[in-house]
Amino acid sequence: MNSYATHIPTEASVLAPDDTEPMPLDEVNRHSRAVMANVEAVIAGKHSAVRTALTVLLAEGHLLIEDVPGVGKTMLAKAMAKSVDCSVSRIQFTPDLLPSDVTGVSMFNQAERRFEFKPGAVFANIVIGDEINRASPKTQSALLECMEERQVTVDGTTYPLGSPFTVVATQNPIEMEGTYALPEAQRDRFMARISMGYPDTENEVSMLTTRDLVSPLEQITGVVDLSQLRAMMAAARAVFAAPGVKEYAVALVRATREDRDLRLGGSPRATLQLVRAAKAHAALHGRDFVLPDDIDDLAVSVLGHRLVPTSRALGHHHQDSAALIEEIVTRILSQTPVPLGNQKKA
Amino acid sequence: MARDQSRFAERGTTYWPLTGALVVLLLTACMALGPVLRNSAWWWGMAVTATVVLVSAAVFRRLRWPVSVVPVGALGVLLVFLTVFFGDGSGLLWVIPTPTTLERFGDLIQAGELSIQQQAVPAVPYPGILFLLCVGAGAIAIVLDTVAITLRAPAIAGALVLIPVAVPALITTSGTDILQLVLVAAAYLLLLRVDVRTRRAAEAANPDHGRSAARSFGPDRRGPGPVWGSLGVAAIAIVSALVLSAATPALSDTSVINSRSNGVLFGNGVSPLIDLGQDLRRPEETLALHYSSDADEHPYLKLLTLDTFSDDLEWVAGHGPINKGNGVDDIGSAPGLTSRIERTKTTTDVQIDNVISSWLPVPYPATSISGLAGNWTWDDTALTVSSEQSTTRNQRYTVKAIALKPTAAQLRDAGTDYPPDIAALSSVPAAAPPVIASTAKEVTAGTTNPYDAAVALQRYLRGNDFAYSTQAPIDQNYDGGSLGVIAKFLEVKKGYCIHFASTMAVMARTLGIPARLALGYLPGESQEAAFADRTRWDVSSHDLHTWPELYFPSVGWVPFEPTTGRGSIPDYALATGATDTSTSAPAAAEDKRPTNQGLLDAQHNAAGSSQAQGALGTWLQTAAIVLGIVVLLLAPLLVRRGIRFVRRRRLARAGPPSLAWREFVDTTLDYGIGISDTETPRHLADRAFSRPEDSAVRESLERLLVAVEYERYARPDAHPDVRTARVADLDAVLRALRIRASWPVRLRAALLPRSLWPAAFGPAPGTPAVSA
Repeated sequence: MNSYATHIPTEASVLAPDDTEPMPLDEVNRHSRAVMANVEAVIAGKHSAVRTALTVLLAEGHLLIEDVPGVGKTMLAKAMAKSVDCSVSRIQFTPDLLPSDVTGVSMFNQAERRFEFKPGAVFANIVIGDEINRASPKTQSALLECMEERQVTVDGTTYPLGSPFTVVATQNPIEMEGTYALPEAQRDRFMARISMGYPDTENEVSMLTTRDLVSPLEQITGVVDLSQLRAMMAAARAVFAAPGVKEYAVALVRATREDRDLRLGGSPRATLQLVRAAKAHAALHGRDFVLPDDIDDLAVSVLGHRLVPTSRALGHHHQDSAALIEEIVTRILSQTPVPLGNQKKA
Repeated sequence: MARDQSRFAERGTTYWPLTGALVVLLLTACMALGPVLRNSAWWWGMAVTATVVLVSAAVFRRLRWPVSVVPVGALGVLLVFLTVFFGDGSGLLWVIPTPTTLERFGDLIQAGELSIQQQAVPAVPYPGILFLLCVGAGAIAIVLDTVAITLRAPAIAGALVLIPVAVPALITTSGTDILQLVLVAAAYLLLLRVDVRTRRAAEAANPDHGRSAARSFGPDRRGPGPVWGSLGVAAIAIVSALVLSAATPALSDTSVINSRSNGVLFGNGVSPLIDLGQDLRRPEETLALHYSSDADEHPYLKLLTLDTFSDDLEWVAGHGPINKGNGVDDIGSAPGLTSRIERTKTTTDVQIDNVISSWLPVPYPATSISGLAGNWTWDDTALTVSSEQSTTRNQRYTVKAIALKPTAAQLRDAGTDYPPDIAALSSVPAAAPPVIASTAKEVTAGTTNPYDAAVALQRYLRGNDFAYSTQAPIDQNYDGGSLGVIAKFLEVKKGYCIHFASTMAVMARTLGIPARLALGYLPGESQEAAFADRTRWDVSSHDLHTWPELYFPSVGWVPFEPTTGRGSIPDYALATGATDTSTSAPAAAEDKRPTNQGLLDAQHNAAGSSQAQGALGTWLQTAAIVLGIVVLLLAPLLVRRGIRFVRRRRLARAGPPSLAWREFVDTTLDYGIGISDTETPRHLADRAFSRPEDSAVRESLERLLVAVEYERYARPDAHPDVRTARVADLDAVLRALRIRASWPVRLRAALLPRSLWPAAFGPAPGTPAVSA
């Protein structure tokens, strides 16, 4: 039943080796907090979403922000991008956007009498893809191929993308009109999906005040530069995951494959990204080893968008898919023994 | 591994309240010795000694002496105290002990030991005993002070004060008074309470130290009292004392203690007759001595003679001061004995097994004794053999005696021509109940001479109306041989040798016949084995016996046997027209012995000892059942505490943080918080302490948590510095768990710790679903 049984990550999904010196973890923690504080100045009350977003950034993954319009998806993406002093580009996906707008195009230069590559919007460290599900599938897949392979091939020439390279895509829930749902295979390329949720009353009121005069985005300046970001990523990569913790991640993902409420479970890439995200999460907390808690904290975000519930489960629950998935993942977490946890007999 | 400094007493702190509580505890515990000793002077001695020692220790602490020197100082004070009060002025300036003082102490100790051995309870506290008591009280006080204050482990004090509390249980059959135990337990709880307060005060003054809690099995440091921890200890203490008192009869036969329970007989100042009754009622028979004799008729072995009435109408030995010249190698002739009486010389070899007495069991009348250790003298009138310094313990000796065989005719013709000193022994105190005299007249109606009257009395008492019972006099409160109980005995007609012998002797006296009581052993039973080339006879503690001796001019003191079912009746006493069944056969008594005695013994056992044994057995059984239940109930508590103790100790010795975590997990389980193996340590911690007021303990918890996370999930070789868990942190966390629990939860956690149940028994109550 499982279509992912033979799905093997392409070698491109393995991160390119990086000889950057890892940053000491306490500094990682300090910088992370600075970034989060920066972002939260703009988006109040969304600590967990901001932290997951930063985790994905440090883990060199791609982030999918999915929610109804107007809750600050783009704002979060922009704030993240602005907090890091690096190249940022933004693509507004529309139905008539062409793949070449994303990747770039070879044009004939009349003066020099040769083809010349005009890089697309994807050539930046942080690429914000707004409303990615409004674009045609063809354009979507152009972006998603870049995400996986971290390079662009146009007319037989391969152009490597920037490092780091992170796509922060936003999309409206798939049920909205005028959208093309991302296929499962493409959703799988995002490391995590978060949703913003509505702000609480207090934050919504204060938002009214702060945004009256000036866009808060204007006030944000970069708190981490590119080399620091690279060092932070290197530090995250060096975090230790104990065998037991890795087994725990595997057990969780395997449980999604066997769950009777799920039509599609997590792929091996899901396991890989779960552990990778957990390492970044640990580094972000200034810890040089992964705790099961890291995995628990990230499981819904990292696994949620890859799982497809059975229609029976959906029918039973009368609720939207994301909420159901979260419930299922939470249940699986509560059923999977934690390695070296609080067993009665250790 | 750092030993927590605050576990010990702070230098320069006095802890007066603790000292006060210790004084109260010790004085209360000393009161438990009440049943063992007479009057109360001894208690004051112990009280003053203990108080002086404890207060001096507190003063030394006040003077900022190092804690390790305080006990030495207290010991010095004890020595000075003893020198002043027991040194007899031998000390330098009355105060400093000199070699003479120590010698004096040695003498006192010896005298005390002997005195303890010889006296029955309640003993008179002679100076030797008093000295030993004061030394004991002082020593316990020093140890108590060291343990409870210097080492800050007052819970252990409970074990120490059990020493005085357990003594009566070991020595007397009645054991320690329950009320007494309750008092001691209350004093003990008071001590724990004061300790908790002291600690809290210290914590308030010095919060850093305060966090370091306690000895593992010590009482709780906080919360509404040290109730559960200490209640457990107190319960154990009380139960042990109860068990000890219940187990006393069993102990008495194991020779563990050379005391009254092991055959010390007839001390000073107590009624030997009451004593004898206690011996007879003791359920276990112990071998008192064994002997062999060449006499035709195996002799009664007499210990002492009672011939006078005390002011409270008790039989006492009335003989005069000891004549040091009366060496036992040549004992004077029996008073009143003339050469007309047929006699044979006998030799008896005796080996004492289990009698400690200053009176020697010998046949009457003995002519010489050889082989004795120590100075023994014989009494001029009673011919009993005694020693002031030595005891019978383990003596082996040979007695030459004469066996008298007066004929009935000789006795009948003896007349009433008594020497004046003997005639004095035919008087009865005026306070004697008149029923004795009237009954004696009735029984002896028609007799014309003292001998016939005596035989009639004996026949009356051995008749079917009377029954042998060691228990009945106890049940109906007429135990002993005093004049007062005879009337009651004549009414109930149940009793044992004392009653029969005493009644016959008093009745004889009312008829004008000089009479006295002899106390000693029945001849016992012959054995297969040999001793000193003759048949060995074993005499047990149940052969202890009393019989009357009546005086006949020209014959002397003649024993009779009025006790129904015991002993054998002398030939001469069978006399005319004996009708009672057990004496109807005119054959020599010793010929009947093997069969008859067996019968009598059976009767004795059935009537007396088995009754006692029955009652005691039931008591023991009940105690054992109760004990079993209590132990069963407390077993989970003890096991759980033991586990915690071991974990804490290993942790203190740099054990892995997992130990601390496992203890934390088990404790949360005990308190009904519930655990789950799908939960991470941090989740559990968050759930257990989710309330805002828990922030205080979070710091300790965080340290534990980090240590255990590093141990379990980090690189094996990294960060050794954070991989240690402090016992103090664990204690703080456990304390926080306990404080927040309601008392029923605490009770359940203490008595039925859920963590002891196997996991297979189903999930713990309250196991949560993990919220990710």
